[in-house]
Amino acid sequence: METVVKSELDQKTIKPKRKLSLKRVLIYTTLTIFAVVNAYPILWMIINSFKSEQEFQVDQFGLPDTFVLENYVNAWNTANFGVLFKNSIFICLAATILTVLIGAIASYFLSRFTFKMNKVVYTFFIFGMLIPIHATLVPMFILIRNLGLLNTPVTLIFPYIAFHLPITIFILTSFMKAFPKDIEESAVMDGCGIFRIFWSIILPMSRPALATVIILNFIYNWNEFSFALVLINDPALQTLPLGLASFAGQFTTNYGAQMAGLTMSLIPIVAFYLLLEKEIVKGMTAGAVKG
Amino acid sequence: MHAVGRRRGAIILGLLPALLIYVIFAILPILQSFYYSVMEWDGFSDMTYVGLANFKEVFADPLFWNSVKNNIYVVLASVFGQVPIALFIALLLNRKLKGLKIFRTIGFLPVVLSTVVISLTWSLIYNSEDGLINELLRSVGLESWALNWLGDTNLAMIAVCITVIWQFVGLYLIIFLAALQNVPEEVLEAAKMDGASEWTTTWKIIVPMIWDTIIVAVILCIAGSLKTFDLIYVMTHGGPSHSTEVMALYMFNETFSQLQYGYGSAVSVLIFFFSLLLIYLVNKIFGKKMI
Repeated sequence: METVVKSELDQKTIKPKRKLSLKRVLIYTTLTIFAVVNAYPILWMIINSFKSEQEFQVDQFGLPDTFVLENYVNAWNTANFGVLFKNSIFICLAATILTVLIGAIASYFLSRFTFKMNKVVYTFFIFGMLIPIHATLVPMFILIRNLGLLNTPVTLIFPYIAFHLPITIFILTSFMKAFPKDIEESAVMDGCGIFRIFWSIILPMSRPALATVIILNFIYNWNEFSFALVLINDPALQTLPLGLASFAGQFTTNYGAQMAGLTMSLIPIVAFYLLLEKEIVKGMTAGAVKG
Repeated sequence: MHAVGRRRGAIILGLLPALLIYVIFAILPILQSFYYSVMEWDGFSDMTYVGLANFKEVFADPLFWNSVKNNIYVVLASVFGQVPIALFIALLLNRKLKGLKIFRTIGFLPVVLSTVVISLTWSLIYNSEDGLINELLRSVGLESWALNWLGDTNLAMIAVCITVIWQFVGLYLIIFLAALQNVPEEVLEAAKMDGASEWTTTWKIIVPMIWDTIIVAVILCIAGSLKTFDLIYVMTHGGPSHSTEVMALYMFNETFSQLQYGYGSAVSVLIFFFSLLLIYLVNKIFGKKMI
């Protein structure tokens, strides 16, 4: 009796397991193909950025025989990467900090206070997510020109803030709304002012949502191209994407230097991504699904 | 009374910076787009009111319709490329697998990268002489298949669309994964108890449950593809002979290389309405199924 039951049990446990493992192999194969297609173009470029021009011509697929750094030196010098990095870091940080700060204050009043125009102002901000950036390029160029801001170090900061406030306010407001209603009461009893409450209670409590909007803003600002293309033509003020585009346009046949330049520009954003991957995914889903 | 007055002051003070920048640098430009669209203007001399003449001229230009057609290709490639691939991979990833995190990390990586970097990398991949694709074809003896991918009017659009799909699959993958995690476990267990196969469970239960998210993804996809600009600007500049020119690029070329600010604004306005129309249509078509 016992042995029969046991063998039956064995059969039961073995059979699904075998079926499962075949399925698993298929799943893993598919996922691996997907991962290779996703990552290989970038890897191919990074690997070949270390090869000499001759080696690249002969063998594109292997690892480099010796790691040649010449491409990097060439790219750094001809494309003025030092200047590009400096500009990108400054604009990206300034725009991100200002957007989050200004957006957080606005979100605080929109989410924690009831006043007549509350809903109207909120909807007005959210509407900004529908504005196609390219439809504003011409008037933006004229506006910036009339303000005398064309080709200055702060040119790009204003459009970047304006176009990322909607998503920033959207995420922060929905987060701050969820705090319990009486959170400010004891602080008011202690004699805290409105801005003090914002700074020492609401802001620290919003840390997860702040992380999300900081990351989103940083990625958008770091990669932005269209506004930079139209509003900046002084090489000394170019950002990284803009500088890369014109650099590649001038050195079409120097593949090594191009790939080295691209690899260098990848480092900050890839490092940022790998470091904060979990938060980024959270932020992207929160922002994208509803935005 | 005094306290209320002070609070109103604080509210205004808190919202002012955000409102000011947002109105000046996002709302004003989009409104000006409408204003400039009925003007004849080179950006420097006096404007003259021309009514709907710009729009008539746009509609009469075969190059505009060519850019609309190309834009529709990008929309179709994105909707039927990105969404199904992302959904398929998300369904595969939505189980207890080892290494799930790695696949997710690699899957999302292209989304974080700058479009300029992606465009330049893929330009190198498509390069007619030393590109990755042609090298690959030569190495397996398919020498005759090696083509000038971005230089051929028949192939360039396909090449561009493949890159577009590659860039954004990860975004929808993450959105779908987030939605799948919200499908309650009990529902799936109940289906399993009733003997439903995985195929049935997927099509009869999981997909209907995340249908709303799929629609949102389709809408995001359409809105995103209509904004395609950076990628094509860097990869082909709209060429060869306008074969990859999309609406935003047509607008850019007409405005900034021909200095027709009124005409370009008319195209901008059309882009704005075109995306609203498409999004409305998608809502209308899928709206019934959503209930």
